[in-house]
Amino acid sequence: MTRALGLVPVFALATALFGGTAGAQTIKIGVNEPLTGAFAASGTYVVNGAKIAADEINAKGGILGKKIELVIEDNKSNPTEAAAVAEKLITSDKVPVLMGAWGSSLTLAVMPKLMEYETPMVVETSSSGKITTTGNPFVFRISPPSAVEAAAFKGIVDKLALKKVDFLIINNDWGRGTAEDFSKMMKDKGISIGLVETMDQGAQDMSAQLSKIKSSDSETVIVTTAVDQLTLIFKQAAALGLKKRIITTGGSQNPDQIIAQAGAAANGTMHLTTFLPWFPDKTPNPEATNYFITEWKKRGFEFAGCTESFRGYDGIRTAAAAVEKAGKAEPAAIKAALWDINIKGLNGDIVFRKSGPEGKESGQSQPNVYLIEINDGKVELKTL
Amino acid sequence: MSEFLQHLVNMLVLGGTYALLGIGLTLIFGIMNVVNFTHGVLYTFGAYIMFIVVQQLGLNFFLALPVAVLAGWLLGATIELTLLRPLRGSDIDTTMLVMIGAWIAMQSGTLWIWGGVAKSVATPFPEAPLVLGPVSVSWLRLFVLAAAAMLILVTYLLINKTSLGRAMRATFQDHDTASLMGVNVDMIYTSTFAIGSSLAAAAGALLGPVYVIFPQMGDLAAVKAFAIVILGGLGNITGAVIGGFILALAEELGAGYVSSGYRDAMGFVIIIAVLIFRPTGLFARAERVG
Amino acid sequence: MRAAVTILAVAALASVPLWLRDPYLLNALITTGIFVIGAMSLNLLLGFTGQLSLGHIAFFGIGAYVSALTSLGFDVGLPGDVRLVHAPWPPIAGSLLAILVAGMCGYFVGLLSFRVRGAYFVIVTISFAEVVRLVALNWVELTQGPLALTNIPSIALSLPGIGELTLRTKMQNYYLVLVVALVAYLLIARLVHSHFGRAMRGLMENETLAVSVGIDVTRTLTLAAVISAAIAGAAGSLYAHYIRIIDPEVFAFINTVTMVIMVISGGKGSLAGPVVGGLIFGLLPVALRPVMAPEAQWIAYGGVLIAILFVLPRGIVPSLAQRFIRRRSGAPALASVALTETGAKEPA
Repeated sequence: MTRALGLVPVFALATALFGGTAGAQTIKIGVNEPLTGAFAASGTYVVNGAKIAADEINAKGGILGKKIELVIEDNKSNPTEAAAVAEKLITSDKVPVLMGAWGSSLTLAVMPKLMEYETPMVVETSSSGKITTTGNPFVFRISPPSAVEAAAFKGIVDKLALKKVDFLIINNDWGRGTAEDFSKMMKDKGISIGLVETMDQGAQDMSAQLSKIKSSDSETVIVTTAVDQLTLIFKQAAALGLKKRIITTGGSQNPDQIIAQAGAAANGTMHLTTFLPWFPDKTPNPEATNYFITEWKKRGFEFAGCTESFRGYDGIRTAAAAVEKAGKAEPAAIKAALWDINIKGLNGDIVFRKSGPEGKESGQSQPNVYLIEINDGKVELKTL
Repeated sequence: MSEFLQHLVNMLVLGGTYALLGIGLTLIFGIMNVVNFTHGVLYTFGAYIMFIVVQQLGLNFFLALPVAVLAGWLLGATIELTLLRPLRGSDIDTTMLVMIGAWIAMQSGTLWIWGGVAKSVATPFPEAPLVLGPVSVSWLRLFVLAAAAMLILVTYLLINKTSLGRAMRATFQDHDTASLMGVNVDMIYTSTFAIGSSLAAAAGALLGPVYVIFPQMGDLAAVKAFAIVILGGLGNITGAVIGGFILALAEELGAGYVSSGYRDAMGFVIIIAVLIFRPTGLFARAERVG
Repeated sequence: MRAAVTILAVAALASVPLWLRDPYLLNALITTGIFVIGAMSLNLLLGFTGQLSLGHIAFFGIGAYVSALTSLGFDVGLPGDVRLVHAPWPPIAGSLLAILVAGMCGYFVGLLSFRVRGAYFVIVTISFAEVVRLVALNWVELTQGPLALTNIPSIALSLPGIGELTLRTKMQNYYLVLVVALVAYLLIARLVHSHFGRAMRGLMENETLAVSVGIDVTRTLTLAAVISAAIAGAAGSLYAHYIRIIDPEVFAFINTVTMVIMVISGGKGSLAGPVVGGLIFGLLPVALRPVMAPEAQWIAYGGVLIAILFVLPRGIVPSLAQRFIRRRSGAPALASVALTETGAKEPA
C-alpha cells in the first residue's frame, strides 16, 4: 500500500518530466469545456474565444520561444466527464495548466483532480461562491462571483430608485447565488424583497411564474439566467402585459441575440454585464477589445457570442502570461506565477487576490461590471 | 382574482400544446407498443424545418407548417421502415433501446448541423398581446391553440371515420385477429408511426416560433408527452387531450400557488397518484395485457 | 466450466492496475465499474422479474446523497420548529446507511409501483426519479440544491494492524469498486439460483400461473426491488466518495439510460450481461474521444447501440451463448430449447 500511496508524487513527477520534454516543441494548455449537451452553445463560444487568443500569441512568436498548443476536450456538460477530462488532460496530454470548465458544477467536479495532480486551472465562467471559498489553492478565477456583481450594483441602486424587487432565477448555483447575494445587498440599502421565483434550466414556458410576478406589488424584477431563457422571458412578459422594470444579471446575456430574437419586447430592459463589445473605446483595454471583435467577426462567428467568448480569450491570455512569468511549463511554477501576473483583460485588470481559508487560498480577480439598457433595439451604456 | 384568471388563460394555451404533444405519442405507444424515445427529436426536427423554411429560405410562415408536417411524416416512415420493421416481434425493451440509440444519434446530428446556439423564427403576428380586462395573451399563442385544436380534430376524424382508422383501431384491440381479418398490419404500423411523427413535428413547428429552437428542446417536451399519455391512458386520443389540460392546470396552479421550484414535479406527482388509485390511467378504454 | 470462466475474468480484472498505469484509463474503469454495479442491480429487476425501471438512478442518487450527507453532516429545520442536526460520521457509516436507506426506498416504491405493470410501471418509476431529483434540487437547506455537496471525504477503512487507511489513489479505489462489484455479483447470482429466483422467473414468464402455484407476487417483486435498490445505493455511495462532489444532476435521466443500455445490450437476465455491456458502453466514449469530433462521438455511440441490437437482439451474452451452443450441438432444435434455459440461467 505504501507503493500505491506513493504513486501520486510519482505521477506528478512524471507529469513534470514529460511536460518538460513535450514542451520542447509547444506549450500545452488544457481546455475543458462543454461542447455537447445542455451547455454546448456556450462552451463552443468560449473555445472559439480561446483559439483567437492562442493564434494571436503564436502569431507574435509564442511564449518562451515556443508556440502555444490548446488541447481541447469536451466535458459533455456532465460533472463526471469534466473530472475525467481533467484527468486525461493532466496525465495523458501532460498539460501544465488548464482552463475550464464553464458551469460551476463542472468546475467543482474538476477541483479535486487539481489537488490530486497539483495543477492550476484558470476558471473563466463559473460563478458559484464555493469555487474560491473551499480552500483549493489551484483555482484562479477571472469571472465575477455573484457577490462581486452585487457589490458593483450597490453603487447604482440609489439612482434607479428601487423600492421593492422580485427575483426570477434559474434554479442552479448561479441563480440561487445571485438571489442570495443581491437580496443581502438590497436589504442593506432598505429595498424590500418580494417574490423569489425559480425556473428549471431548459424550461421554456415561464408564464406561470411571470403571471405571479405581474400580480405582485414590486416595481422591478431581477432576472438571472442564460440568454435563451431571457429571450423567452421578455417575449412572455410582453405577452402577459407585465410592465415592470427588468434588470438581468450574470454577464452572459448576449443583448444582441436578445434584440434579434425578442424584438420590441427587449426595449427598456437593463442588463448587468462584464464586457462591452458595443463600446470598445469604453472598455479598460480598447486596443485588445477592438482586435478581439475584429478577429471574432473575421472568423464568421455571430457577434452575439462575444459576451461569452471573451472569457475564453482572457482565460488563455491569463494562462499564457503565467507560463511566461514562470519561465517554464511546470504546474508548480505556473501556479506561483499566477499570483504575480497583471494583465489587461477585456473587462479589467486581471490580478488575483486571495480568497478562502488561510494557507490554501484560491485566486479571484475583480472584473468590471457595467449596466446597459436596450432602447429602440440598440444597446446604451448607463454610467455607473 | 386577476392572477387566477391569468393562470387559467395560460392553462388553456399551454394545455392545447401539451395535448398536441401527447396524441402523437399515445397513438404509437398504444397501437405499436413502442416506447418512442424519438418523439422529442421529431418535435425538434419539426421546429428546425420551420427555421429552415422561414428564416433560411425566406418562405411564408403558413406554408412552412404543412412542410414540417410532411417532413415529419417522411422521417417517421423512414425510422419505422429501417429501425422498427426489422425488429418486429422483438420485445418492448429491445425496440425501446433502439429508439434510445436513434434519439442520441439524431439529437447529436442536430447539434452538429446547426450548433447549440438557439434559433428563433419570425412570425407574422403582432407583438402586442390581446388584452381582455385583467388578462392578456399573445396572438401567436392563440393561433397555436387554434391550429392544435384543428390538428387534434383531424387526427380524431382520421382514427374514427376512415378505413385506415378502423384498421388502426382493430390493430390496437388485437393485432393477431386484425391480421387474420386481412388488415395489413405492417402497413398499419408504418402509417401509425408516420402519423405520430408528423404530429410531433407539427407540435415542434408550432411551438418553435413561440419558444426558441435548440437541439435539446425535445427532451423536456418528450417527458411531458409521456406524462400526458399515461394520464390519458395508452392509445386514447381523447384521454391525451384531457391529460394535456390537466397537466397544464397542475403546473400553472403549482407554480402560482405552491412553489415554482416544484412546478415540474406537479405532473409527476399526479401521475404517481393516478397510477396508484387508478392504474389504467384516468380515461383508459381497454388495457392491453403486456 | 462456468466457475472457471468467472474466476478467470475476475483475475483478469484484478490484474488491470498492475499493468495499466494510465490514471485516465483507470479513472474511466472505476467510473464504469460504479455504473456496472448500478446496471447489475437494474438487471435483477429487468432481467429476472421483467419489470423495467426507468427511474433506477433514483436509488443510485439517494445512496450518493445519504452517504455524502452522513459523512459531511447537516443541520436542517423540520416542520414544527424542530432542528435536525447531524455531526459528520466516518464515510463507511455513510455507505452502510446509503445501502439501508436506498433499500427502504426500494421497499416503498416497490409496494406502490408494483400495482401496475408494463409501460405504466416504466412511467411510475420515471416519475419517482424526477420527483426525487426535484426534491434534491429544491430542498436547499439539506442538499444545498444546485450549489452541490462538495469536499465529500474519500472512503476510509480501519484495518486491524494497519490502522486507518483512506482510499485516495486510483488503484485503491479500483479494488474497492471491484470488490463491491464482486459481492453484488455473487449476491445476485445466489439469489437468482435460489427458490426466490425461481419464483421471480416464474412471475416473469407467466404471472397468472405463478400465482396459481402459490407464489406471493407482491412479496417477491418487492423483495427484488429492495435488494436491487440497496445495491444501486451502494453504487451511488461509491460514486459520491470517489467523485467527491454531487449535485442534483446525478439524477439525470441520461444516467438511467446509460444503465439500461448496459443491461439490455449485454443481455438482460444474464448475470454477465450487464458486466459485458457495461464495459463496452462505459469504455466506448473513451475509445471514441481521440478519433472524432465531439458530436460525432455521440452519433457513433447511438449507432453502435443500434447495430448491436440488430445483430444480437437478445443482448451480447445470451446471443453469443446461443450461437456457441448451436455450434456445439449442431442441432438448431435443441439449441432453441437450450435458449430458454440460457435466457434465464447463466451461460458464461
